[in-house]
Amino acid sequence: MHRGIEKLAESRTYTQVIPYTDRLDYLAGMLMNWGYVCAVEKLMEIEVPERAEYIRVIVGELSRIASHLVATGAYAADVGGLTGFIYTFRDREEIMDLFEMVSGARLTPSYMRIGGVAGDLPEGFVERCSKFIDYLPTAIEEYNGLITGNEIFQHRTKGVAILSAEKAIDMSLSGPVLRASGVNYDLRKARPYSVYDRFDFEVPLGTKGDCFDRYYVRILEMEQSAKIIRQALDNLPEGPIKGKVSKVIKPPAGEVYAEIESSKGIMGTYVVSDGSTKPTGFISADLHSLIWATWMKWSGAGKLLMWWQFSAALILYLEKLIVNPIWGVRQGGESLCKYCRRHKKSAGIRWPDRYSY
Amino acid sequence: MFGEGLLKGLRITLGWFFKPKVTVQYPEQRCPIPDRFYGRPEFDYDKCIACNQCVLACPNKVIKLGTETVDKKKVVTEYNFDQQYCLFCGLCEESCPKDAIKFSKDFELTQYNRPDIEIKFVKPEQVEKKKIEIKKAAEEKAAEAARKQAEEAKKEGEEGS
Repeated sequence: MHRGIEKLAESRTYTQVIPYTDRLDYLAGMLMNWGYVCAVEKLMEIEVPERAEYIRVIVGELSRIASHLVATGAYAADVGGLTGFIYTFRDREEIMDLFEMVSGARLTPSYMRIGGVAGDLPEGFVERCSKFIDYLPTAIEEYNGLITGNEIFQHRTKGVAILSAEKAIDMSLSGPVLRASGVNYDLRKARPYSVYDRFDFEVPLGTKGDCFDRYYVRILEMEQSAKIIRQALDNLPEGPIKGKVSKVIKPPAGEVYAEIESSKGIMGTYVVSDGSTKPTGFISADLHSLIWATWMKWSGAGKLLMWWQFSAALILYLEKLIVNPIWGVRQGGESLCKYCRRHKKSAGIRWPDRYSY
Repeated sequence: MFGEGLLKGLRITLGWFFKPKVTVQYPEQRCPIPDRFYGRPEFDYDKCIACNQCVLACPNKVIKLGTETVDKKKVVTEYNFDQQYCLFCGLCEESCPKDAIKFSKDFELTQYNRPDIEIKFVKPEQVEKKKIEIKKAAEEKAAEAARKQAEEAKKEGEEGS
């Protein structure tokens, strides 16, 4: 996923990059924040206070559930059952409300800071969060009844697009897609970062590696995430929420790579510092770009992509050259609306003054 | 039996048919908004000390701060907040030492005209008032100092004689 964030980061300070990392994956903004601050903390060797780590785990896992809820619901909608989509989004709303409480924003929280989190958990958060965690199993039961158990859904997903474990590894996949193929690789277990070594949870695995497994692994992962949140809420320690970090962040010159397990796979961040207040290099590798690169190398799809782009450009050019003049002349040239070029500015309708261009 | 799953799904949706609605009829009913919400920005002219921290903290250069020095004191003459580039990340609020910039709970930020998007917080009357206040204060201070000096001189004169 290339959005030019690397270049934007070069002209901003380390803290100013945080709001941009939300936009890498707006379904799990908290985890993207975490991936970035994790790298800078590693570079500066900052110790994060325990309470901050626990808060990060809670909001991170909530983010994972929110992201998987979208995956589940959108999956149902895409194979032809929009009802499932509505039901998952109903429950996702509660997580969005929790994020709004804690960070002031729903999708782009920018809640993590280098060395901790932006603010302590607000009053009533813990109660509301644990209420949601208590409710989640009922909701998952509902999804199983609505989506998983549905025969049409099963017919359309079981045995479709089987990805063997070897191939999944060859394609350098990660996250639920890799685990659905039966490969037990979860960074939270394989190389525990933060405080994940203190929690008791399992890594759900698929058996066949088909579409159904990729769907069902996410449902099971939501249950495990809920289990982690429950433990984190019970053992939430008291204390500061931000480590000893000066206001002006100036990491030593060097480079660092850090990775976390995001909802869609490994989120790796590579930060290069020249010792000033601004990063000189910043790369965030996501699952998609890796698949894309591998796939292009593997199937010669680069040529296809180039041809596709070329033809799209050609069509646009032809439209500009041939279609627009004719259309424009017929519509009466100058008096066309300058924005949409279709309707006349005063073709019978009198716009109120405040609407006029 | 084939179709059992389908029936189960239908039973769930039918069950919800008789339960209360979870949606909210937006313009009439509104969900409660938490305190940390980032809505329309608010600026307190009297609290601002023109330290430029918010301008430096902003990732997108949204804030434009203009100052003028009157009697060695900084007066804010301009504080423009260009909302269309704002990420609503709250870094300016976090950096402000005097809580002069804050975000309200008002989230209906659409405008009919593009120039209205940029909020110009400082009014010319405010600046004039502030300038007069500072000048007055400076004059009073000078008068006070002069009076003190005169008194001291008088005292010295008395002691001398």
